[in-house]
Amino acid sequence: MYTLALRQLVLDWPRTILVAIALGAIFGVILVLKGFEQGQYHQLARTVENRQADLIVAQSGVSNLIAARSSLPQLMRATVESIPGVRVAHPLTTMPVIYEGHGIKTPIYMFVYDSGGGPRHVMQGISRQRGRGIVIDVSLAEKHDIGVGDSMSIADFGFEVTGISERSSALFMPFAFINYDGMIDFMLESEIAPDLSAFPLLSYLLVELEPDAAPAAIADAIESQATEVDVYTAAEMAQNDIALARSMLGDVMGLLVLVSYVTGILVVGLIMFAEVNTRLRGFGVLKAVGFSENRLVLSVVTQAFAYYLLSVPIGLSIALGMAALINSIAPLYYVKVMTAGGLLTTLLAGGVVAIFGGVLPIVRLRRLDPNIAFSRV
Amino acid sequence: MFGWAIKSLLNQRASFAASVVGVASAFVLVLFFDAVWRGESVQIVSYIEHSNPDIWVMQSGVSNMHMASSYIWDWKADRIAEIEGVKRVTPILYLNTAIELGGVDYFGYVVGLPEGAARAGPWAISAGHAMPGAGEVVIPARFLDIAGIGIGDQVSIADSQLSVVGLSEGTYSIANPVFFMRYSDLSDILSAAGTYSYLLVDLQPDADPGQVVSRIEDEVEKVNAMTHEAFVASDFRMAMHMGVQILVVMTAIGMALAVVIVSFTAYTQVTRRQRELAIAKALGFRSRMIYLFVVYQSLVVTLLGYFMAIGCTYALVGWVPHWVPNVTLVMSSSSAVQLGASILTVAILSSLPAALRVARLDPVQVFND
Repeated sequence: MYTLALRQLVLDWPRTILVAIALGAIFGVILVLKGFEQGQYHQLARTVENRQADLIVAQSGVSNLIAARSSLPQLMRATVESIPGVRVAHPLTTMPVIYEGHGIKTPIYMFVYDSGGGPRHVMQGISRQRGRGIVIDVSLAEKHDIGVGDSMSIADFGFEVTGISERSSALFMPFAFINYDGMIDFMLESEIAPDLSAFPLLSYLLVELEPDAAPAAIADAIESQATEVDVYTAAEMAQNDIALARSMLGDVMGLLVLVSYVTGILVVGLIMFAEVNTRLRGFGVLKAVGFSENRLVLSVVTQAFAYYLLSVPIGLSIALGMAALINSIAPLYYVKVMTAGGLLTTLLAGGVVAIFGGVLPIVRLRRLDPNIAFSRV
Repeated sequence: MFGWAIKSLLNQRASFAASVVGVASAFVLVLFFDAVWRGESVQIVSYIEHSNPDIWVMQSGVSNMHMASSYIWDWKADRIAEIEGVKRVTPILYLNTAIELGGVDYFGYVVGLPEGAARAGPWAISAGHAMPGAGEVVIPARFLDIAGIGIGDQVSIADSQLSVVGLSEGTYSIANPVFFMRYSDLSDILSAAGTYSYLLVDLQPDADPGQVVSRIEDEVEKVNAMTHEAFVASDFRMAMHMGVQILVVMTAIGMALAVVIVSFTAYTQVTRRQRELAIAKALGFRSRMIYLFVVYQSLVVTLLGYFMAIGCTYALVGWVPHWVPNVTLVMSSSSAVQLGASILTVAILSSLPAALRVARLDPVQVFND
């Protein structure tokens, strides 16, 4: 029965290839959707990682780096740096702003940095800038056709683009990086904060430790000396940001993946139904010569599973191709197909979908009259 | 030719129906993704829409609420209240940040309301009361289902603990559930005494909003004034723009999937009917006519799949929110029309593999069994 199913695949190989491509496309779409969700989480983790801190000090009660407002007393840097084991504490301020160019508005998450925490992957221009200089993410640069040396106005304040960075976006927002001189000018000139005390001049401290210092012990020491702060390791902060994103995106992405799985079942069902229909006379002959219904069903399910096995590398290639395309034409998003968990879940679920889809035409097989073997189909 | 193509499809009703369902499911994926994004964008402007003042005033250079921050001096509110045509000014303080409910962080809008504010608060309450007092907060009622948080529970915003006193309806969305608290509490969190974020301006009955907008911008420095309609449109447009690239990509993926499915269907039809097509060739039908037969069939399958997808998505949009209450779905006729415009492309591209098979078809096959 297995041999019969496999020989059938070889016999009409163009059709086999088309079926494998159709199934591969479905798996590819599912992998891309899951990869889109995983990519969002990856971008958030990367955002924390790219700040290159051992510990992150935030306002008490604030546990996120992205999409949260944290405000620390300005003297906190000196307090933290006075603790043994702390090598340096880099100030970092974050603020959401909106850029409008060519009539299109884009929310930007702005990082203000001094000695650390700036853009890590600058692809054009320079990473360090003075005064009005700004480094922007490549997605923002491409969307608004901005290059190094161009000026860009945010809240009526003119910045000069000194660099374009990559891998600097998350939660559908590109990042921009300015220094503290730029921030003060920006606030005063644009009146973004009429009273500077209303605006967080210091949001976070990025703490680098001495080589032999224990992060947990230093975090406890900072929290005991300054009750108005919470301290997290970079990994903890990344997990907090991922958890925040999951609370926003989890259900929606789950729903989209579910819809794509249902699509997958329908398409596999369609393909196997067409397969059974095409070979109806052959199945009739087998039934007439005494093959049981169960063996015929086994043949169809075997064939469905063989299609599935063929479609896995095709689906993976399609997904990787689509991910590369998305990452290249829309660098704001990141599609991460190759995650062990996501891949395993999709492939296992894909196997179940293939078998389930293969089972769908069983009704047709059970109703099959062996007399069909003696008539033209 | 068209009749022959239709008859041929109807002759294999089950295969035909299965193909239509396959194509429909690919289109559903596209329309559903669009409905998710559009629904979220609609919810993003829900607070602005329901607040419904005649004019919104904010910091100069700011023209949005979603993902924006705006600070204006409190004296500017007093100054605007004196401008001709202005009936009432309601100031709010506003923050978008992470809010902790039941140990889980959610991203949300926080609106600080002045004591006794006659507007700008929640517009529908399912439990408790609408106006929060000191140390109190009104949260979207949907958090009762999502996080099990209700009246009397605690919510953390930065290091402030607030007690839930009201559950509001229509204020939940994935990206920006709206929380209401006392202005003074939010002002403490922001260290922003003496500043507001937005001013909701109501006009005298006979005042012209456009003229009052100009007056406000002329008489009060460094503020941006927008009519209500313009402000809603500005935020909605920005929310949609945030997802425009991914929507285009998803549409392309769905279309590619549809092409593959219709190709498979067309190819299967040609394989099954190759003897019939060979007879047609032997009788003198040109290859061009047979290609047309394949295209017609693809077009019919694609069209029916498209209409079925619209029906299915419409049903899903009505049904899914009951099952997944935190997702808002809005189906747009313009997206459906845009998708429909590409049907011919899908049908023609899908016919190519089958057309290649037809091209290789030898009329001699008519004599083979």
